[in-house]
Amino acid sequence: MRTLHDDEQFEFELLADLAGVDTGTEMWVVYHLWSPRSSDWLRVVAAGLSREDPRVPSVTFIWKGAEWAEREAYDMFGIIFEGNRDLRRIYMPPDYTSFPLRKDFLLPDDAARSPGEGVRHVEQTFQPAEQLRQPVLRRAELGSTMPGSAVELEAGTEKTP
Amino acid sequence: MTTDRGTVRSLDDPNIWVDTPATIFDAVPPYPPRTEREAEFYHLRDGEMLLNLGPQHPSTHGVLRIVLKVDGERVTDLDPVLGYLHRGVEKICENGDWHHAISNCDPLEYVASMFSEAMPVLSAEKLLDLQIPRRAEYIRVLCWELNRIASHGLFIGWLALDLGGLTPLLYGFIERDRIVEMLASLTGQRMLFNYLRIGGVNRDLNHDFLSRLGDWMSKAAVELENETRLLNENEIFVRRTKGMGVLDRDTALRLCVTGPNLRAAGVPYDVRRAHPYSVYPELDFDIPTRDTGDSYARYLLRVDEIRESIRIIDQVLHEMPDGPIMAKIPRMIRIPPGRAFISVESPRGQYSCYAMSDGSDQPFRLRIHDPSYFTLQAVGHLMPGNLIADSMAIMASLDPVMGGVDK
Repeated sequence: MRTLHDDEQFEFELLADLAGVDTGTEMWVVYHLWSPRSSDWLRVVAAGLSREDPRVPSVTFIWKGAEWAEREAYDMFGIIFEGNRDLRRIYMPPDYTSFPLRKDFLLPDDAARSPGEGVRHVEQTFQPAEQLRQPVLRRAELGSTMPGSAVELEAGTEKTP
Repeated sequence: MTTDRGTVRSLDDPNIWVDTPATIFDAVPPYPPRTEREAEFYHLRDGEMLLNLGPQHPSTHGVLRIVLKVDGERVTDLDPVLGYLHRGVEKICENGDWHHAISNCDPLEYVASMFSEAMPVLSAEKLLDLQIPRRAEYIRVLCWELNRIASHGLFIGWLALDLGGLTPLLYGFIERDRIVEMLASLTGQRMLFNYLRIGGVNRDLNHDFLSRLGDWMSKAAVELENETRLLNENEIFVRRTKGMGVLDRDTALRLCVTGPNLRAAGVPYDVRRAHPYSVYPELDFDIPTRDTGDSYARYLLRVDEIRESIRIIDQVLHEMPDGPIMAKIPRMIRIPPGRAFISVESPRGQYSCYAMSDGSDQPFRLRIHDPSYFTLQAVGHLMPGNLIADSMAIMASLDPVMGGVDK
């Protein structure tokens, strides 16, 4: 990606789209790039990510604007972009645990389209990576000045005379 | 240990002091920060405070909540909170067939729906490798350009409103209402048209539409001059937009901003010319650009675009061919398996769609890329350092639409 962006032969300066895809068996991340030099589209597909723990390096170091696109892909598919500084949910509420655009996430009215099968209950088995489910504890030294930090949570119920 | 909120007397025992409980009025979320950026944002330095703006606020242009970190009147950082309009359109599209996707995509860009409803239509046509009748192509271009004018006209009004002027908004709405009524007589709807179809358009041009259009075209250029003359040399307007919110070329590209905001920074990137679709290669129009990249340049650029759109409409009306408006395809349509990426130039930038089909009558994946989403992200980089009132004006000059941001 770095080469595609910087190399004088390519100069794909514009990230036109960043899409997550769940094919049912694996995860993809699809990038569409545009170069003002040659006026070409380029589609880059990062295929073959495992559905259990999809991880892909972030491109926010090249395109700052990819940050929200990656957050959206994380929110909808659970794809983890390593190196994104702000990888949290963007559309769904923060305490939401599923990933809605995955193929095993079924809408309640799916049953209407498959007569005889009834409503299919599917356990959401996917767990995001351990590191992301934990709060950022290494920032705990900010301590009392940062409301909601780990240090404060421990002391939250303490009563002051 | 006490919190920043201080202590209050306990309700159970007035002799005991407890931490002030967090209330819904606190902008601070009740969980520990989960990312580096969040930890950085919610760490307040001396003299800073958090100010919650929205989700219901007249100048946020929709249901957007922004947590501002302010130092006095000056914004030092901000954290937009999205999702208040999230409907899961992509998931709904996957669960309906391709024809349903047209009406589902309509309310994404509710100011210019003709562009968002083109997404499933154009991608299905590309997957089918379908040639649509020329008359249908011309009608589509006509509707797109009319809708672009309506959207830009509204933009001018909103920008002036956020700077404290009410009159241009009223003028903008008069113009927009004429176009919207015109399109209503063609499509049957004022805002969410549901007009494009896979293989053509829904209805042919009718007399009512054409007479309204002719009436409007005869004075459109004059009306535009009247409206913009209110602002172009208005001292207050110019001083509050010139040099404000400068988005230079490299930053705009790094932030994936497209459309008028990118062209105002000097990059002549317009999908209509860079990757021509429909009948745009046959039409004669220019791509206006500006170099300064400030709010004023973005305003002037949109005015120029309205002029170009009027030129396009003029040509389309002169060259409108006769013939059918729908290609001969079956009603129940199965799209061949494949992947397609299409994009159109919407009033807010490159509106693109990455569609995957598995050969059934439903889209397997319909990823919709809305330019407003990336524009709003750029707002987060332009606001810091400005006064609160000015940052709202900068946001208006970038023109995001929340329907598309939240999908």
